[in-house]
Amino acid sequence: MTEPWWISLIKAFLIINLVMLAFAYTTLLERKLLGRMQLRYGPNRAGPYGSLQPIADLIKLIRKESFFPSSAIDLPYIVAPVISMFTALAAFSVIPFGAGWHLWHWHVDGEIANVSIALIVVFALGSLGIYGFIIGGWASESKYSLLGSMRTCAQLVSYEVSLALSVLGVVLMAGSLSLVDIVHKQGTTIPYAAPQVIGLLCFFVAGIAETNRAPFDLPEADTELVAGYHTEYSGMRWGLFQTAEYINMITLSALMVTLFFAGWHGPYAPLGPLWFFLKLLAVVSIFIWLKATLPRLRYDQLMRFGWKVLLPVATLNAVVTAALVVAF
Amino acid sequence: MFDAGNTLVWIVWIVAAFACLGSGIAVVSFTNPFFSALALIGNLGALAVLYLLLSAEFVAAAQVLVYAGAVMVMFLFVIAYLGGRADAPWAGGPSWQQVGAVAAAGAILVEIVVAIGLKAGGRLAHQQHVLSSFGSPHAIGRLFLTDHLLAFEITSIVLLVAAIGGVILGSHSRKLAGEKAL
Repeated sequence: MTEPWWISLIKAFLIINLVMLAFAYTTLLERKLLGRMQLRYGPNRAGPYGSLQPIADLIKLIRKESFFPSSAIDLPYIVAPVISMFTALAAFSVIPFGAGWHLWHWHVDGEIANVSIALIVVFALGSLGIYGFIIGGWASESKYSLLGSMRTCAQLVSYEVSLALSVLGVVLMAGSLSLVDIVHKQGTTIPYAAPQVIGLLCFFVAGIAETNRAPFDLPEADTELVAGYHTEYSGMRWGLFQTAEYINMITLSALMVTLFFAGWHGPYAPLGPLWFFLKLLAVVSIFIWLKATLPRLRYDQLMRFGWKVLLPVATLNAVVTAALVVAF
Repeated sequence: MFDAGNTLVWIVWIVAAFACLGSGIAVVSFTNPFFSALALIGNLGALAVLYLLLSAEFVAAAQVLVYAGAVMVMFLFVIAYLGGRADAPWAGGPSWQQVGAVAAAGAILVEIVVAIGLKAGGRLAHQQHVLSSFGSPHAIGRLFLTDHLLAFEITSIVLLVAAIGGVILGSHSRKLAGEKAL
């Protein structure tokens, strides 16, 4: 049974807004958690326990002047943050968050779009998202921006290979590229985190690098590059880049929950989105925890690790998994 | 999947087809190579939409992932590093290249005219019903390992040769740099 198109439309609208809300409160969670880990309070002035801080930040960013360098090339300069934002938000459309429900006489799926190649769609959108960074850095006509965007691109392209290879094990075990099928398969067997523990580790490490998070946050190594590709951006244009980065992190965490931790499966199936949300919260918190713990790598260490350690391990994992899947 | 009566499909097709042509012309018309590369990305993206309309979802996604994503990032990378050396559009390349380009364009034009003529004469096979599994990863994987096994394996060898070549060229230039330092 398929759902009518207008339910998909409403669902897409809701999910986009929920993801934006999740982004806003991820920034607060990050600042609070980092604060407590560094023996301070974090933001606690706007609203009870600082809970209105993201709203205050948003109002500040919108009211701030969007500085425009005189030598910047206007159209790409303005479009670049939009590309980043679009690809970040669009990737969430294929991630399943529930089993599907019956409301009156309509059927509502637990995802916006169930496509047979969902995993490739996520990676394809991720590879398009790189253009936001490279175009933004280039159009700013600044050496720091250009070098920052080059560094970002080199890092993202390098780790994308390992990221894609690390999920091959899961795809082989589930026999499908559809995220809905992968979650269902885990519901009937076990979460793939257990058999695919090496794949999970590779995916996690590559994912940290892919989302520019510490300890792989070289694109924004301020001592070396000022602020990387978004040096010349300010106001809400800068805000869009930041939003895209956080949403990429949330999407990647959601993908990890879907591929390795059985997605929305939990003790009581109709509450699927709740289990999904709790798992997502745990993964995002680990991302933040790492930021508080680990110092930044050097650039050559990052590249050496990506190509000489992560890639061979991820490849080996895929080959061994393939052999085992064929054998049993 | 493809239903001629479906206006939405027609609208998407027309938009994608014209985006394809327009971005193709833009690639050779821009003076700034960075914009040419961006137009090429648009061209590849529009092609992916056309593949989607032909119910080849996997090919469309692979097109975006590999060509519009990975390959074009390398193009932009190199162009951004080398800086914008503006060439006059339509210039460059020896004369045999221009002759070859005109010949290739003429051949494609003849092919299109012949195809339209055959279609109008009703002599082109028209299969209305495409299997639902057509274009799925399963179907493509099976074809790769049965009907097109030889081509598939030859491609893998070509890619392996390219990878080894890249490593050799990289170590060669590193050796040259080392000699200069001494």
